[in-house]
Parts: sequence; structure tokens; C-alpha cells
Amino acid sequence: MSNGGIWKTFAEYDRRYVYLALFIVVIGPLLSPIGVPISVSPSTRQYYEVINAVGEGDIVFFTLNTEFSGYNEIQSGIIASMRVFIENGAKIVIAVGHPEATSIPSMIFQDLNKELTENEYVYGEDYISLGYIFPNEAAVAALAEDFQGTVSQDWLGVPTAGTFLDEVKTWKDIDFISDYTTGLATTHVMNHFALRGTPMAVNCIGVMIPSSMNYLDTGVYLALLNSMRGGAELEYLTGHPASGLTAMDAFTFGHYMLIGFIVIGNLGYLMYTRKQTYGRGRKKQ
Amino acid sequence: MASPLFTIPGIIEGRFIGLLLNIVLASLVSYYIKYGKGIKIRRVPGLDAIEEAVGRSAEMGKPIVCSYGLDGFTYWTLAGLSILSHVARLAAKTGTRLIVPTGGSDASLIVRPVAEEIVKNAYLMEGEDDKYNPNDLPFLSGQQYAYVGGYVGIMQRTRPGAVIMVGSHYSDAMNIAETSNATGAITITSGSYISNVAALACASDYILIGEETSAAGAYLSDDMAQKASIRVQDIFKWLSLGLIIFGLLSYNAGSEFILNLLST
Amino acid sequence: MSEIIKTKEFQLSIMLISFLIVFIPYFLDIPALDAVSTKLITIAALVNVFTIALAVSSLVKRNMNFIQRKTRGWYFKAYMLITIVLMLVFSMFGLETGPYHWVMFAVVNPLSSVNYGILAFYMASTSARAFKARNTKAALLLITGVIVLLYQAPLTGTVFPGIEPVALYLTDTFGKAAGKMFLISITVGALVFGVRVLLGNEPSVLGIGGKE
Repeated sequence: MSNGGIWKTFAEYDRRYVYLALFIVVIGPLLSPIGVPISVSPSTRQYYEVINAVGEGDIVFFTLNTEFSGYNEIQSGIIASMRVFIENGAKIVIAVGHPEATSIPSMIFQDLNKELTENEYVYGEDYISLGYIFPNEAAVAALAEDFQGTVSQDWLGVPTAGTFLDEVKTWKDIDFISDYTTGLATTHVMNHFALRGTPMAVNCIGVMIPSSMNYLDTGVYLALLNSMRGGAELEYLTGHPASGLTAMDAFTFGHYMLIGFIVIGNLGYLMYTRKQTYGRGRKKQ
Repeated sequence: MASPLFTIPGIIEGRFIGLLLNIVLASLVSYYIKYGKGIKIRRVPGLDAIEEAVGRSAEMGKPIVCSYGLDGFTYWTLAGLSILSHVARLAAKTGTRLIVPTGGSDASLIVRPVAEEIVKNAYLMEGEDDKYNPNDLPFLSGQQYAYVGGYVGIMQRTRPGAVIMVGSHYSDAMNIAETSNATGAITITSGSYISNVAALACASDYILIGEETSAAGAYLSDDMAQKASIRVQDIFKWLSLGLIIFGLLSYNAGSEFILNLLST
Repeated sequence: MSEIIKTKEFQLSIMLISFLIVFIPYFLDIPALDAVSTKLITIAALVNVFTIALAVSSLVKRNMNFIQRKTRGWYFKAYMLITIVLMLVFSMFGLETGPYHWVMFAVVNPLSSVNYGILAFYMASTSARAFKARNTKAALLLITGVIVLLYQAPLTGTVFPGIEPVALYLTDTFGKAAGKMFLISITVGALVFGVRVLLGNEPSVLGIGGKE
């Protein structure tokens, strides 16, 4: 082919074709789900075993260290995990680490309204939302040392006196921490709770997985749920398919499309760009 | 499960080694700040890339965009400010317009006056104080994504010749690096956040990974405290390396000595 | 009195005493100091929250200045101030339902998500551009990247289970090693920075004078 032809196109395609292709490949399966099978990874199984071990009456500190943007990625894990805690009868204390996230607990309760009703969960007796109480490390440290002194009302201003939070005085009274994170105050929660012995499991966004795995190795985190895929796998394991599993079609095809573009780019590089840079070699004129 | 080698009355179990290391670290930093005049730091290759980028922008008559990070006064921000000072001086020398987007978090409000002072002084020292334009240091927003929107807008409108993004950047880094690449600017970034390093290495023309940023900052500022920090960090890195190797060998030989020592 | 409070030595002394009150009980078993430390941390948490108020007042002052001088884009600044006041008013009508909840759910959520979602497109175009076998190192990066990408797609694990151990090996060895190295560097760097601040070698942190 003269002047490079298709190889030149492969080597020098406009990035906007990548954007368009990704858009189509993601929107298509979301509008018309296919139901691609998924495999459950060992980390998700471990996560499920850890959260399922939380028993009736155990106080779970459910910390949402995410903004709305990150919530959309880890929503499936959040809902699936909360469902497990509700079905196990745990007492749940929800706190958030970003001002944007103050409305997220209401959205979670709405999504899990059926489970809350079936398990006769009463606000104030079985679960409570404290709102944005992690602006910085000092606040987390204060919570760990003196919970009652730091927080005396929930996110709507209703006093927490008389609720099950009366039992929580320091970090020692928290039985389990379930953290959902895009960063924010997770390290502070780890420093002031988990490193002192409170069991902690984390659901993080994709880019945080490599750094979070270090804490998994050292035992600081008991389990790690990996981003949207982990959430989808948890939905599958718990038998409650939802938005996470729906998104896996788009997730899968998006990855394959990306690999396709990488292959195309490399073919273009090898058959055109490299020859332009290093000469034609044995190519016939 | 590791168990401490010994306990000391009065010291909480498992924290003695941590206390010891903290005391050693503080002592070494004080020592090197006082007596470390001979500390030499090699020139980080990234600085050549910065100078080349500024030179190229000057030749093309395009502005430079340089940011020092989102956070308040952290380790990375101070390194970013040192590099900003260097870039500002180069820009003043070559008569290139320098745009410094500021903001990204509430804590960045505290750093902003220092950044303004640094850029102003750089122009003053080059005798080009009339070229200093305070409007070229816009405060975009205290929110990360709003800051990104403004930053990307600046790049799209001004079409810079170079974008130098150092200091602490989080999920905004990818947005900025890719837009910079799309506008055709030379993109130099610093990977201060582990999750960003891989993506920035792909998106940037040059990346200063982790410690290189602070080493570059120390080299440029010639500040005794920063140089002493780099020296102490190097000592601790060698110590960590020794512990890792020795621990690996001893553990495989059946001894948990290092594990127990670090748990003391 | 105010002159004494403004001196660098006084401010550094306060910082050092506060640091020691929190630092010592972490390592030494002193219950009395532990109680003081807890109270100090609670006070610090409350004081820190006032930075939000400081940020808002600073923003209002600054932007009112821009609006009065009618600088370029002043209407955007006016819009921002109006939204700050509106959100304050909305929050008084209730947080769970009503206009506050609507704004968070219908405005902030999509805006925040869009910025995050755009990252996916940028990652895609960066990967497509960067993963090219230009030399041996780049080829190794390409092969590793493709294996991990393939594994991340859930369907691959069901069709080709053999990829799991390879992908997990790559992330568990090389990936983790890089992360651990970074963690050690950052931790030591942060400690050293803290020592520098306590020794008074970072006056800009205290806001008591620039360095140049």
C-alpha cells in the first residue's frame, strides 16, 4: 500500500475515536444488558468471609470516605456490604469523610429500605448516621479517644444520647470498621482504630488497589474489596444482582476495546512509524 | 504472629522500636541541619527537562503553566514551591509568560500568598518586576474538581508550550496531564501519589517520581534543612534495605528475629 | 503581650508542647498525660473546623473584590457567591428532603461524577498511546499491561482461568514492591518534614515570613 495506507491510519488515529468507541462500548451494554458471566476473585471471597463473620449486636463503623464521584464506582460494594451487615443483625454507625457525601447515607437507606423493614431495623436503635465528622486527622483521633465527647448528635442534629451509641466510648468499643474509600480519611481511621486492633475491611477505588494491598499483607486490613468489579462479585456471591453486575458488561467490553486499540496502535507503530524512523529495511519499493 | 523481643516498663508494648527510630531520625535531622554543610545533592535529570521545556516555550512565544500542588503545607508542596521558584526565574529571564493556577483544597488558601511572594520575588531578582502579573496566579477553587475544570480551561485557551505540574496532585493529575498532551505542550509532572505514578508515566513527557521532586526542590533551593532531610531519608532507606535483606535471609533460615525486633 | 505572642519562638514553643503532649502518650504509658492529650486533640479538631469558615470568608472577600472591580469573568464569581448563600438557606429547610437534597443529588452528584468519569476516557487514550513496543522495556510494559487488563475484564477469568495466577503474580510481586517502596519514602519524608517544622526551619508553615 502506498504512503502507509491503513498502517498509517493505525499509527496516527485521532484520540477522539478512542473516546467515541469507549462511549459506544460502555453505553450499549448499559442500555441493553447482555449478562456476561463473571468469575469471583479470591480477594472478594475473603472479603465476604470477613464481613459475614460480623455477628448480631456487633457495632460496625461504616465509614464513607468518598465524594459522589467515587461513590458511583464503589456503590455496588457499599450496598452489598450493608445488606450483609443488616442481615447479620449488626448495629451500624455511618460516618462520612467529605461534605458532598452527607446525602449518601439517605440514598443507601432508600436502596435498602426493603432489607431494613424485613429485619425490623429502627433508626437510633440499630443504625445511625453521624454525617460529616472526618474533616481531618485531629477529628478522627478525637473520635478514637473520646467518642462521646466528639460526637453528641447525628447528622440532622438529633442528640445521640439514648441510642446504642451510648455504648461507644473509645475505639475499643467498635467491633468492626467497614471503610469505603477514595482516599480522604481512610489512613487516619487506620492509624487511630485499625492499628490499635479494631478489625478493618476496605472497599477502595481501582487506582488505590496497589497501595492498599500493602496493608492487606501486613494484616492491618483483614480484607480488600476491589472497586466496582469487587462490588459486582460480592453482589453475585450474596445472590443480590444489582447495578454492579449490570455494569460488568460495559466493564468487560471497555477493557477489550482498550486492548483492541493497543493492538491497533502497535501494528501501526511496527508497520509504519518504525519504518519511517529507521528506514524501509527489506520492504519492496 | 510476631512477639516483642523484650518489654520496657513504662513504654507501651510494641512501640519501643518506633520511639527509638523517631528519636534517631530527629537527632540526625538536627545534626545535619547544623553540621551538614558539605551535603551535595546530584542534579536530578528532571531539572534539565524543565529547563528545556521553558526554553522551548520561550522560542515558540507560548506561555508556561506551572502548579505546585493542591494541599496545604506538606512535604510535597514545599518541593513544588522550590521548583516553582526556579521556573519563575527562568520565565522571568526568558520573558515568557508564567501562569500558576492555585487552589484545589481549602488548605491551599494558606499556601497561595507564599506562592505569590515566590513568583513576585523571582521576577524582582531578574529585574523584570514590571512583567509580574498577579492575574496570572488565579485562585480557581477550593474544590478539587472545580480546580481541574479551571486548570483545563486555562490550558485550552492559552495553549501553553509547557505544563509543569509538581507537588501533590490526586485524581486531577490525569485530567491535567492528558489535556496538556492534547494541546501539544511538553508535560512534566511529579508522581507524589503512588496511584498516579503509572498513569502519569504514560501521559507525561517527563515524570519526577516520588523522592525526585523533593530532591529537585532541595537542589534548587540550596536550603540546608531540605538537604539535611534528603540525607536523612537516604540513611533511612539504606537502613530499610538492610532490614529487608537481612530479614528475608533470616526468615528463610527459620529465624523470626527481625520480625520480633520490629514488633518490640 | 501581643508582641510576645507574635514571635517565632513563642509559636514554636506552643507547637512543640502540643506535639509532645500528643506524641509522648503514644509511646509511654502515662494515663494523666493521655487524658490531657485526648482533650487537646478534641480542641484541635474543633479549631480545625473553623478553617471551613475561614475558607468561606476568604472566598467571599476575594470574590466581592472581583465583582466590584468588574474584572474578566466577574459574573461567574457572582454566580458562585449566590450559590453559597442559596445552599446555606436550603440547608435550613432540611437536609434529608427538599432543595438541599435535590441540589446534592441532581446537581452536585452529576457534576462530580462527570469529572471522575472523564478520567476513564483519558486513561483509555493514554494507554492506547503509551503502550507501544518501542524498545525492550516498553515491550515488557506492554505485555504486562495487556495481561493485567485482560484479567481485569471479568469474562476472561471464566473463559481462560489460567490467566488469574499470572496476573496475580504480576500485581503481587512487582506492583506491590513499587507500592511498598513508595510508602517507605513517603513515611520517612513526612516524619523528616515534621521534624523540620518543629525545629523552626519552615517559617512559611507558621506564616511568619517567606524564605526569599
